Amino acid sequence: MPEDDFALDRLIHEPGRLAILTVLTSVADADFVFLQRTTGLTKGNLSSHLTKLEDAGLVEIEKRFVHKKPNTNVTLTKEGATRIARHWAQLERLRGLADTERTT
Amino acid sequence: MERKDVTTAVAENSYFRGLFGVLGGLLMILSALGNAGWGPFEHDTAFIAGLAVLGAGALGLNRYYNDRYGRSRPTIRHHRRMAVAMFVGAPAVFLGSLLLSSRASWSLNLPLNTIAISMALVMLMVGGATVGLRMHHLIVFGALLVAGLLPVWEREGMSGNTGLWMAGVALIVSGLLDHRLLVRRFGPVREDDRA
Repeated sequence: MPEDDFALDRLIHEPGRLAILTVLTSVADADFVFLQRTTGLTKGNLSSHLTKLEDAGLVEIEKRFVHKKPNTNVTLTKEGATRIARHWAQLERLRGLADTERTT
Repeated sequence: MERKDVTTAVAENSYFRGLFGVLGGLLMILSALGNAGWGPFEHDTAFIAGLAVLGAGALGLNRYYNDRYGRSRPTIRHHRRMAVAMFVGAPAVFLGSLLLSSRASWSLNLPLNTIAISMALVMLMVGGATVGLRMHHLIVFGALLVAGLLPVWEREGMSGNTGLWMAGVALIVSGLLDHRLLVRRFGPVREDDRA
């Protein structure tokens, strides 16, 4: 296995950001409250992670009003979808490798 | 963190908004009352007024859930699964139930409650295709299925209406349990948590 396959994407590997991106792979888009309820992150933590993910081009954030209330909508970008898919594939490979080593 | 835990949480937040099921159950009971022409439901206007109240309730519930548990849009893949369940699976179940007890000449004419059977199968199928079945779904809709399969139902008359009542009550019970699961799983959102 090439050494690159073991190098995890540090931006994505952080549990909060991994949870956010994984939620976004299961839906077309989601708002702030949905992400917060589903990941269990606090408002401050979620905001901070979303900013980092947006700066890295992994998510798109749209601020809008719904029923006259501010609403933040988040969508996974193509780059984000590719990187989170690759990250989970890496984790699966590492897990498979660990299982193989344990049984030998 | 397991990927499946996260995707399960997404499905639970999206599909355990059980008060919609309560409205669905009330709609079935309303239909039964309308069919029987009970009390004010002797007139069509009472039925239509009931529909309007349930429609307004659905809009209010949609806003309540979106404010407290958030909004999301399902993926195209998910839309396809739902479409298959609704437009292929559900008609297949209803046609099968007609074959079991319709008074048409090709019917097996069995003394079963086909409304109860159909609703139980459709709910189990849709639940299985979306969020996955939980124990209370199996108990509630399993009981509805067994009740419908008991050979005690008259072949004509009011057994269809009784089926609507039973299916309505099953939807209400299952919806309340879904809602309880949602609240326990995700908790109420605090005012200062909104963004």
